[in-house]
This record gives sequence, structure tokens and C-alpha cells, in this order.
Amino acid sequence: MTGQPLGPSTLPHNDNVNPYSYNIALDGTWFLRKGAMIAYYGQMRFEALSSVGSLTGMVARQFSSPMYTREWVVATGQGSLMVADRGHDVNSLDLEDGNLTVRASNLLAFTPDLQLKQSIVPGFLTLIGTGTFLASSNGPVVFAEPPLRVDPQALVGWADCPSPSHHFDAGWMSDFLGAAQGLLGRQSGEERQFDFTGAGTVLLQSSELVVEDPALLQQITEQTGMLGTGQLQSLVTTLQARLQGAQQ
Amino acid sequence: MPGFALVNHKVVSVPVAPGREVLAKRGAMLAYSGDVRFRPVSGPRPGLGGLVGRALSGEAAPLMVADGSGQVSYGYAGLAVHLVHLDGTGSLSVESDRLLCHDAGLQTAVVFLGQQGGVRGAVRGAVTGQGLFTTQVSGVGDVAVLAHGGVLELPVGGRPVVVDPQAYVGHVGAVQVDVSASVGWRDAVGRGSGEAVQLRLSGSGSVLVQASEERF
Repeated sequence: MTGQPLGPSTLPHNDNVNPYSYNIALDGTWFLRKGAMIAYYGQMRFEALSSVGSLTGMVARQFSSPMYTREWVVATGQGSLMVADRGHDVNSLDLEDGNLTVRASNLLAFTPDLQLKQSIVPGFLTLIGTGTFLASSNGPVVFAEPPLRVDPQALVGWADCPSPSHHFDAGWMSDFLGAAQGLLGRQSGEERQFDFTGAGTVLLQSSELVVEDPALLQQITEQTGMLGTGQLQSLVTTLQARLQGAQQ
Repeated sequence: MPGFALVNHKVVSVPVAPGREVLAKRGAMLAYSGDVRFRPVSGPRPGLGGLVGRALSGEAAPLMVADGSGQVSYGYAGLAVHLVHLDGTGSLSVESDRLLCHDAGLQTAVVFLGQQGGVRGAVRGAVTGQGLFTTQVSGVGDVAVLAHGGVLELPVGGRPVVVDPQAYVGHVGAVQVDVSASVGWRDAVGRGSGEAVQLRLSGSGSVLVQASEERF
């Protein structure tokens, strides 16, 4: 890197400025997560998805994820738009007539020729079609091939392979002593894993507590509609125990 | 048999095979391929009276052992990972919560800092905020150590090396650690340089220094 200050003419076009920020040469429209923009040159407007009348058609076509409309804006105009996320690495990935599922809190921006849909897995979004998107990751993204089992927190996303299933590793409990320990709540911390099979690519990052995703809460709340009174009661008990644990 | 290998500066890839189990921090597994199982175990093996020692020292990081055969990726909270290969001649001294993973064949022991440097050792623990105990890893094998920011490995020998207590991660080999304080009247009135307390390392080996003064 030179010490030269960057300007609209010297900024890289549609490329990383450094590992932590990316410059979009905006000419038209991009979908952008709220808070991802750090600076821009030129003429551009940022419009909330929920409020714009003029964009309704496009939004309805490309952004079929009502739960996330409040988290996203549409950037329109010409200029240089710089994007970053908490000092994490920003990766630009191209999709060619494919599909890729990514953690909602890691997705920063995508071109409107991609279609956004909610994944079956809570907290994840699926992009379908041909286009470019930006995703953040803690440390460089590790690309791995199935068959593979992954810690849920370490997962950034997956491409071209079937959605993962849960794998519960409690094999160590099979002997008597282990079973007793298991009953006492002893855990290896890795009981719950995502199991990937089939052909495709899995994207990983160094594990960390992921940022809170408001849509995830909404999604889980909606699903509790399927529970009966007794089950709700037991859910309340579980949540209270969790809360007490977190406050200690 | 290949050993530990860094995938990038935050992720390490480790082979697991029968007879080559790996101990790791609980919850640090990112992904694995093959047939690997994770079993919870307690921290460093207690030595004589170790149980009491562990309870007192706080050096009982919850661990898990990976057995079976396959390839496991470890990483923790986006912290930088540094690999140390121990060839059996020297041991690694580090805080137990900085141990990401290591070969299960290595011996770990909780050591009272007072044993290393008498009262000065105890003072060092108190000053650096590390407490009075540290974990010593010895034997032949690989260790992955966590740090905030990247890690520098500085050779110690001949001239002593002086390190900021907050940036100190651990040391390898026969290294003596002393606290050197140069507290003057400026510190007393709050006009000090902020570097009054330092760690002076001498002997032969190396010291691991992180590029940040943040604890985790």
C-alpha cells in the first residue's frame, strides 16, 4: 500500500481497497445492508425497502424476504461506494447461474440481478441467479468440500449443495460414566453440528459469537405458533434458565 | 504423518488418527471431515495435589479430546493462532485459556509461578494480571496458541528482551522472567509513560508477543 490518499479516480473499481473494505463502482442499483456503507463519492440515494413506492416492483421480484426488508436499503446512482463491516474481511463473490446460502448477518450487499430468498435454516439467506455479492467473514473465508461437519457458529454459508442436516455427537455418553456425566449437564460443546453431504462448497470462518439478527428472533417467534400451552410453558422455563445463566 | 498446519492466520487444520488424539479448547471446533468424535475432559492433568491446585489456580480450562480419524479445523472467537512445535528440549509456558489445541501426547502441568522465580515470580503473576499460576506444556508435538492480533516470536539469548506485560503471551525454553519496574514520581502523579512495568526475559529460548495489549 502506498501512503497516497485515495480519491474517486484512484479508488479500485469493484475491488477491495484493503482486506477490510470494498469499493463498489456504482452505476445503477445495489441492495445494501443498513450500516454497511462507510463512505461514498458521487450522486446516490439510499432508500429504505419498505418505504419506496417506485421500487416496489423490483423489490417484489428480487427481494422475496419480507422479514429482512427493514434491514436493507437500495442504493441508486453513480459514484464510488465503500462498504465495510466491523473490521472483518470483506469478500466479493460471483455467482453464475447458481445458488448460494449465506448467514444473514454476514451478507453486506448484492446486485439486483440476484434473487434473495429466505433459507429453510433460520438466520440464513439464499441468493439465486447470476451476479455479485459481498459477504464479511472473521478472517479469510475457508472453502471446504463435503462430506464435512461444521460448527454452526463457524458457518458462513454454502453453495450448490443440499441444505445441511443436524448431527448430534453424543457418542462419548454411550458408556456408563459418560451417561452419568451427560445427565449432569456436562458437554463437550460440540454436540450440535451441521452435516453437509453431496457435491458443493462450504464456506467457513473462525468461530465467534455472531451478531444478533433481529429477523432470527422474529422467525423463531413465528414458529412458536405451532406449540401448545404445555409446550409454551416448558419453553418459558428453559428461557428463564438461559437468562439466569447469561446474567451470571 | 503431517502435523498441525495453518489454513489462515485464524484457523488451524489438525490431523486426528488412532494413537494421535488432539486436546482442544471446548467449543473451538470449526469443522471436520472423517469420523471424529469429541469427548469432554477436564483441564491440565493434575499432578500431586493437582486437584486442589487446579481449583485454586483457575487454570482449569474446559477441554475436549478429539479421537477417531479425520481432519479437524480449529479456531476460536476470531483470535489469531500461532503454532509452536515442541521438540522435547524445551517447554512452553502459557496461560491455559490461550491453548487452542495440542497433541494429546504432550504433558501439561499447572505451575505455581512462585516456583519459577520465588517471590518475584509471584509478583510477576500479580502485576501482569495472569494470576499466580501458569500452564507448562512439554514433550514432543505441536501446540496452537491463541492471541489477540498477530504473534511475534522473538529469540531470547545473549541480550535480555523486555516485553510489555499485556503483550506477553508465553515463552518457550529455559527463559527466566523478571518484573522490572521503573516507577518514578511521574507515575505517582499520573504523568507516567504508561510503560512503568515491564517483563525482562533472559536465558535461552524465545518469547511470544502479541500485537495488541488487549486481554481476552
